[in-house]
Amino acid sequence: MNIFLRELKANLKSLLIWGVIVVLFVVVGVSKFSAYADNPEMLAILDDLPPAMLAAFSLKAFNLTTISGFVGIMFGYYALLLSIAAAMWGSDIISKEERDKTVEFSLTLPVTRRRVVTAKALAALVNCVALLLITGGATAVSATAYQPDSSFYTFLALILVALFVLQLVFLAIGILLGCAMKQYRRAGSLAISLLLGTYFLSIISTLNPSLDFLKYLTPFRYFDAAMLLNQSRLDLTFVGLSLAIVVVSMAGAYLTYARRDLYI
Amino acid sequence: MSGTIFRHELGMYRRSVITWSLSIAALILVFVSLFSSFAEDAALINEMMANFPPALLSAFGMNGMDLSTVLGYFSFLFLFVQLCLAIQAANYGLSLVSIEEREWTADFLLAKPVGRPRILTSKLIAALVALGITDVVVWVSSVVLLRLFKGEATYETSSLLLLLLSIVPFQLFFLAVGLVVSLLMKRVRSVTPYAMALGFGMYVLSAFGDLLGESVLEKITPFKHFDASYIIQHRAYDLPLVLVSIVVIVVSVVASYGLYVRRDIASAV
Repeated sequence: MNIFLRELKANLKSLLIWGVIVVLFVVVGVSKFSAYADNPEMLAILDDLPPAMLAAFSLKAFNLTTISGFVGIMFGYYALLLSIAAAMWGSDIISKEERDKTVEFSLTLPVTRRRVVTAKALAALVNCVALLLITGGATAVSATAYQPDSSFYTFLALILVALFVLQLVFLAIGILLGCAMKQYRRAGSLAISLLLGTYFLSIISTLNPSLDFLKYLTPFRYFDAAMLLNQSRLDLTFVGLSLAIVVVSMAGAYLTYARRDLYI
Repeated sequence: MSGTIFRHELGMYRRSVITWSLSIAALILVFVSLFSSFAEDAALINEMMANFPPALLSAFGMNGMDLSTVLGYFSFLFLFVQLCLAIQAANYGLSLVSIEEREWTADFLLAKPVGRPRILTSKLIAALVALGITDVVVWVSSVVLLRLFKGEATYETSSLLLLLLSIVPFQLFFLAVGLVVSLLMKRVRSVTPYAMALGFGMYVLSAFGDLLGESVLEKITPFKHFDASYIIQHRAYDLPLVLVSIVVIVVSVVASYGLYVRRDIASAV
């Protein structure tokens, strides 16, 4: 419990910085959106286009003149920001003890390593949830100006659930890296390469239909905003896959940290 | 410049430079190898897009992107190369002098009979050489891979060279800004989150700007200063914006020297 509280306090500044970034991002986005909201010119253009073309550019899903369409576009950016934050928090919260030369102290406390990992993981999880709530709150508040209907709130709730699953995946992978890597610096750089690699994969996998199978490898493609909006449900295959990644990563984290030599 | 410091620093970069260079080359390989299959689809999309109203295209950031040509496609993938280079350079800049304080080696280094400006110069030159090696790998792999995979298509070498050369000031921006940020902070605990925030933040800012029209905020991101599709289309740099970058680089480097010379150094004892 003490470790948990201490970590919450130590991470508060980082959480605030990320919160400000997300809120700023929403504000900039909404100010851009205001030019499109119910813009008759845009609506006329959209009406004129043949339906096949709309489908080709998934404009049907993202009618930019409605607040739901706008949030659908924002989903990709939210996913990127929140995933980076989660992976950074996860790898940092374990490896920083070695970086700051405090690991000998914290591991001589009368708690097992397993409990240290649990407390730290929970603290990072609380941070992730807080950032998620900030994201959702900022979006909901800025949306009120555009008279959203109840379907918008269902959509927003679904998006937040999808984002939460993504956060869990990257948090667990980050914690695994922090626990398993002998040198703290390597945990950070591996987290970067994983984020970049999966992000690029998510783009590459859309370039060619035959590369579609790659979407299983990149969490950024697990949840498609168009599907969330049109079918109002999460793809359960990918929810299961995400949870499997989380479970395997956390099990690996506990196992490796329990029997690891410390880098002093 | 001090040769000893320079050689030591360069040695520290070896592993990182090899990893980054090979990853970026691999990234280019994957994208370029998909070009021929993608170009056919892109030609169809182009036909469709010709009928689109310009307002709609600009709303989705699709104006000026001709993915069916070699260079159009290359400018699309170049954005991701830039993202990698940005994070690498920001990483080097942020850790350039802060690592000494984090690892408690700063007092050892500063006790040597070398002035602080000379230490900073030696470290900067080592970082520049490390980034330069990455550049050479990017240049060579871009040219070679484009030759290999372009098929029947042709492209203009001069535009490509212009685009490839733009990564030098692009990296300098992130190196210099990273350095001055690390010196403005009292203590840099970990470098990666800041490097990610700087690199990805600038990237998201510019990608987001493409999406829903321009705003002033986007003028601060080097991804806009060295926008690949602009360079390919106009066969020139967007000079006023490039100047913004250069001013930022110069100011940051000068400020870094000023800050480092009078910096309070944390020491273990």
